[in-house]
Amino acid sequence: MDLPSGTRNYDYARDMAVMRTKTHWAFFVGFLVLVFTAPLYLRNDWLGVFNLIGITIVAVTGLNILIGYCGQLSIGHAGFMAVGAYTTGILTGELGVPFPLGLLCAGLSAGLIGIVFGLPSVRVKGFYLAITTIAAQFIIIWIINHWSLTGGFVGMDVPRASIFGFVFKTEASQYYLIMVIVALCIFLAKNLARGRVGRAFIAVRDNDLAAEVMGINLLYYKLLAFFIGCFLAGIAGALYAHWTGFLNAENFTLTDSILYIGMVIIGGLGTTIGPILGVVVIRLLQQLIIYISPFIENAIPALSTGFTTGLGPMVFGLAIILFLILEPRGLAHRWALFKAAYRLWPFSY
Amino acid sequence: MTKKSFLVIAILCLALVIAVMPFAGACAPKAQPGQVLKIGMMNPSTGKAAEKGLPMMNGNNDVIKYINAELGGAGGYPIEATVLDSNYDATKVVTIVKGFMSSGCLLFTTAASAEMSPAKASANEAGFPGISCFSSPSLYRPPAHIYGQTPDYGDDAIVFANYYMKNIWKGTGKPKFALLMLNNPTGYGARDAFKAKADELGIEVVSMDEHAATTTSEMDTLTRVKGLTPDVLYISSTPAPTAVIIKNARDLGMYPGVTIGCCHAGMTKALIDLGGADVVEGVYGVYPTVQWGNNVPGMAKMAEYCQQYHPANVGNADYMVSWAQGLIVAKALELAVKNVGYDTLAKGDAAAWQAVETQGIQKLKDYDVAGLHGPVSYTPGDNRLDKFNRIFQVVGGKITPLTDWVEAPLIKYETYDWFGK
Repeated sequence: MDLPSGTRNYDYARDMAVMRTKTHWAFFVGFLVLVFTAPLYLRNDWLGVFNLIGITIVAVTGLNILIGYCGQLSIGHAGFMAVGAYTTGILTGELGVPFPLGLLCAGLSAGLIGIVFGLPSVRVKGFYLAITTIAAQFIIIWIINHWSLTGGFVGMDVPRASIFGFVFKTEASQYYLIMVIVALCIFLAKNLARGRVGRAFIAVRDNDLAAEVMGINLLYYKLLAFFIGCFLAGIAGALYAHWTGFLNAENFTLTDSILYIGMVIIGGLGTTIGPILGVVVIRLLQQLIIYISPFIENAIPALSTGFTTGLGPMVFGLAIILFLILEPRGLAHRWALFKAAYRLWPFSY
Repeated sequence: MTKKSFLVIAILCLALVIAVMPFAGACAPKAQPGQVLKIGMMNPSTGKAAEKGLPMMNGNNDVIKYINAELGGAGGYPIEATVLDSNYDATKVVTIVKGFMSSGCLLFTTAASAEMSPAKASANEAGFPGISCFSSPSLYRPPAHIYGQTPDYGDDAIVFANYYMKNIWKGTGKPKFALLMLNNPTGYGARDAFKAKADELGIEVVSMDEHAATTTSEMDTLTRVKGLTPDVLYISSTPAPTAVIIKNARDLGMYPGVTIGCCHAGMTKALIDLGGADVVEGVYGVYPTVQWGNNVPGMAKMAEYCQQYHPANVGNADYMVSWAQGLIVAKALELAVKNVGYDTLAKGDAAAWQAVETQGIQKLKDYDVAGLHGPVSYTPGDNRLDKFNRIFQVVGGKITPLTDWVEAPLIKYETYDWFGK
């Protein structure tokens, strides 16, 4: 990784570190202070939005490992989230299992189901793999809708998360829980990508035949990518279940799965920062549209009835198209360019 | 007292009353600038249920305009409604309802039971009252802070089955009912009602089959159902699938022959438009409102606003339900202002929510909603505000009322161990 002008590494440990300068650390600590003091100055509804953003970052980070790093297309990510959500819902709600154990089981169950649906990836790839993962989405949701344990179409109530008797009931307490888990997941993803496994994933993504010739076990690494990606989806599903307090299969639709792919594209495939940027932009855009639509309709009476109701899908579609044409490497690339400019400062090139 | 002097006194009294009437308004609370009653309303005006959600959003917007412009708001205070699109998306619903709670709204409304389901956990936990236009038993059994504006899909099934037993069934033994249900709370509300009350009603439910909202053929299901020789096909679904099922039943020679009944989600003009008047002729159904053009006090004003602001929705039954929802909300707020005063409500906090619920919604008693639907009353332990349906039949291509308001009995679903599973 490049360093700002005039900065050097003096040992291997520093060369491998994520934070390599005092400025890095200062920005990082400042960012953490900003994030963890948010409940002091944000209203509950905005905390709710950021909770949703945090949960989505965990899910999309998992999808990014699968698609961005390992090149395995999955259109069933919301289904894997559902597995995690219902696992923790049943374990904590029906069987009284403690939340931390429920959370872990949610990740493991989604990961294992992910491996099952990832098996075809050994033989097929691209669009064909996408179709098999769509099957995962439909099969999982069908089972949820027809299994009495999940409440079927009616849905099921899920208790709030609690650790050692402390119940995460308020939006602020949920925010802290979610942000801590988000930080852990990002840390995991960042280190995974920098290590042996991450390099193997990238090799498989770039040319699986060449990777196999180099001695990379395709079956192992493809299934590992499915496991890790779906594990994070399961964790995100579990957080979602305890955050909303109610589960229904309608919460995990194919549209959500496609939305997550859109977030990865807009954020930037194969980067750790990409999913974060993609999720923040799309979720805030959705929020903006929810609130500005009524104002637009009132301010411009000439608009036909229901014009603004199509605004959300239109803006999302437009964002995807513009990013694919103008910035296919996503917001992460823009961020990299910004950092490069900072590194070169005060020199212009 | 002579007759003449009595008459003079009576006339004087009447004149006095008329004379002081203009001053009566001065006694009512008068809102200061900025004093409003905030509420949140959401509708699925985009997404899978947009054909119902969009007119409902328009109904909500128009009725609030009417209440503020012509009724002086609720209890003398204008209503500030935030009307948002939920996109029929459970995640959006959760963030929207949390937003309503944070922004000082006194209560919130939804159009569909599928919207209220994800909202109810947060709302019930905080004690934030909500009213859903269309509902299923799972929203308020056991009762908490969520209320149903109209009878639920279980009520529809019971009211229709009762009507069938009293007026149509001429055979001996138990009539056989085949239930065809949409794969969401619309269908499952009817399933729960039949599971709970079939024996009591004296009917035998021979099959329960679900279908998707996007179905284009139910021939397989109906072929199997035909073999069970049902007397009644009860369809708890929306207009498009209901039309498909009725067409398929005709093609299989089941109808005419069996009696077909529909829930209120399906018994709309859209059923005739989609299915064809000749195909759906003779079909029975239930609906919780009067029809457009009926001679009831609130019809003219609603039609006027609809014509002025959303002419495309004239004749739309869903528009009418959401218009009525606004009137009920205004009445509840008016009662709350009267009982606890504006200052308590102005805070928009948990105490205000409790006041709106206990001194507003729960004080509703025989409110007639301008005649647009059955009387609205709160009964302790029963969060259905309107408990009345009417039976209709398609006659000559028109949905024709067969009965006056029929009350649906309360079913305590939570006492059944299968409920919610």
